Amino acid sequence: MSERFKYREDREAYSAARVRALEALLIKKGIITDRTVDTVLEFFETKMGPFNGAKIVARAWVDPAFKERLVANAPKAIAELDLPDGMAGAEGEHMRAVANAPGVHNLIICTLCSCYPWPVLGLPPYWYKDPTFRSRAAREPRAVLAEFGLPISEDVEVKVWDSSAQIRWFVVPERPAGTEGLSETELEALVTPEAMMGVAVAKAA
Amino acid sequence: MKLQHYLGGLEGLGPVNTETRVFVEPWETRIFGIHTAMMALSTHLPLPQTPSAFHTIWTWADLRKGAESLNPFDYFKYRYYEKWLGGISSYFIQHGYITEEELDALTEEYYADPSKSLPSSGDAAIDDRVVQYLVEGDSPARDVPVAAKFSVGDVVRIANVPSVEHTRLPGFLRNRTGVVETVYPGAYTYLCDTGPDGIGEAMTVYCVRFDPNELWPGNAEPNFSLYADLYARYVAPADVSLSVKAA
Repeated sequence: MSERFKYREDREAYSAARVRALEALLIKKGIITDRTVDTVLEFFETKMGPFNGAKIVARAWVDPAFKERLVANAPKAIAELDLPDGMAGAEGEHMRAVANAPGVHNLIICTLCSCYPWPVLGLPPYWYKDPTFRSRAAREPRAVLAEFGLPISEDVEVKVWDSSAQIRWFVVPERPAGTEGLSETELEALVTPEAMMGVAVAKAA
Repeated sequence: MKLQHYLGGLEGLGPVNTETRVFVEPWETRIFGIHTAMMALSTHLPLPQTPSAFHTIWTWADLRKGAESLNPFDYFKYRYYEKWLGGISSYFIQHGYITEEELDALTEEYYADPSKSLPSSGDAAIDDRVVQYLVEGDSPARDVPVAAKFSVGDVVRIANVPSVEHTRLPGFLRNRTGVVETVYPGAYTYLCDTGPDGIGEAMTVYCVRFDPNELWPGNAEPNFSLYADLYARYVAPADVSLSVKAA
């Protein structure tokens, strides 16, 4: 019988040992330092991440003119905000925002790999990288969204954006009803990476 | 033909995975950090020289080529960062940075003692460059004059270019007709030359809208549009022959 669909019993322990061995060799040979990997990870905890996207969306919710500028020219509008350096950095050099509206729901995919707007959303969650999602969303987005617990009726147009060149896309979800009294900071807490990629909508807490 | 170039529209795959975590095992964070450092230290970037022994090019294109060259069953079988670990380890071995034997031997050591420490050494200038790359990025935009052949609203047909190793043309769009939604201002390179597939030099990029009924006749959901960003090389007039001859 073929071994094609079998995994090593110690799958994770083996990968953990192998990646540690690789990192050790790269440090020993002077390719990276003993701080390099942690430096990268700290950057994604503090500088690039979905906390930036949440601020951008909350501002778009409270300031319709900003939302218009964001959709017209995302990098330029994002530069107006007090966000960390690097908002046009790695994987954010050419970002575009699309806004959900009554009758229009946007979904971002990357059928060829996993292109994702790092500065504003950090790193892609596993669902986004999954070949099954990437295959199915291009033909049956509603069926896929229903599996995420987001039914989209047939009278709502779904726009699916495949990130196949230089643009890194993200979605401005609609502001949830019943949030009129919330501050911008309180609104930020309602914005998830899933809502900014279109597999969820923002909900009032 | 690589399945990885034709994922869009594949059927029979079962439910999607709705895992929202970025990393599902702690070890995955390490390979992500290594990959990002390699991109930052790649010799094609105009960043300050560092004492790092890294002296070759590594971009997303290299990572993608590795994933696209996998047996398609393996592509589906292994998790995202498992594929990264395989591809990146192979790169360091193929380029003579490390040997497979020493990687295997050290893997055994860490397997036997996962708490065994990592070496401590390195010049801070290396890490400074990594941060500088993250902040500045690596834009594919080039300040060269290119004339966009098509305008917003034009009906275009997607070429059937001879992709061999790597492409940025989603396979399900080949030979299909769409409408230009956006002509991106400026010109854009790709991370590598894709040979007969035809991207690499700076060119226009278009966002093209497709009707799913054109993509999947009689087999698509209603009331949706699919948009893709496509290099000019892949975009042809609607009224010409569909295939592009290899240069």
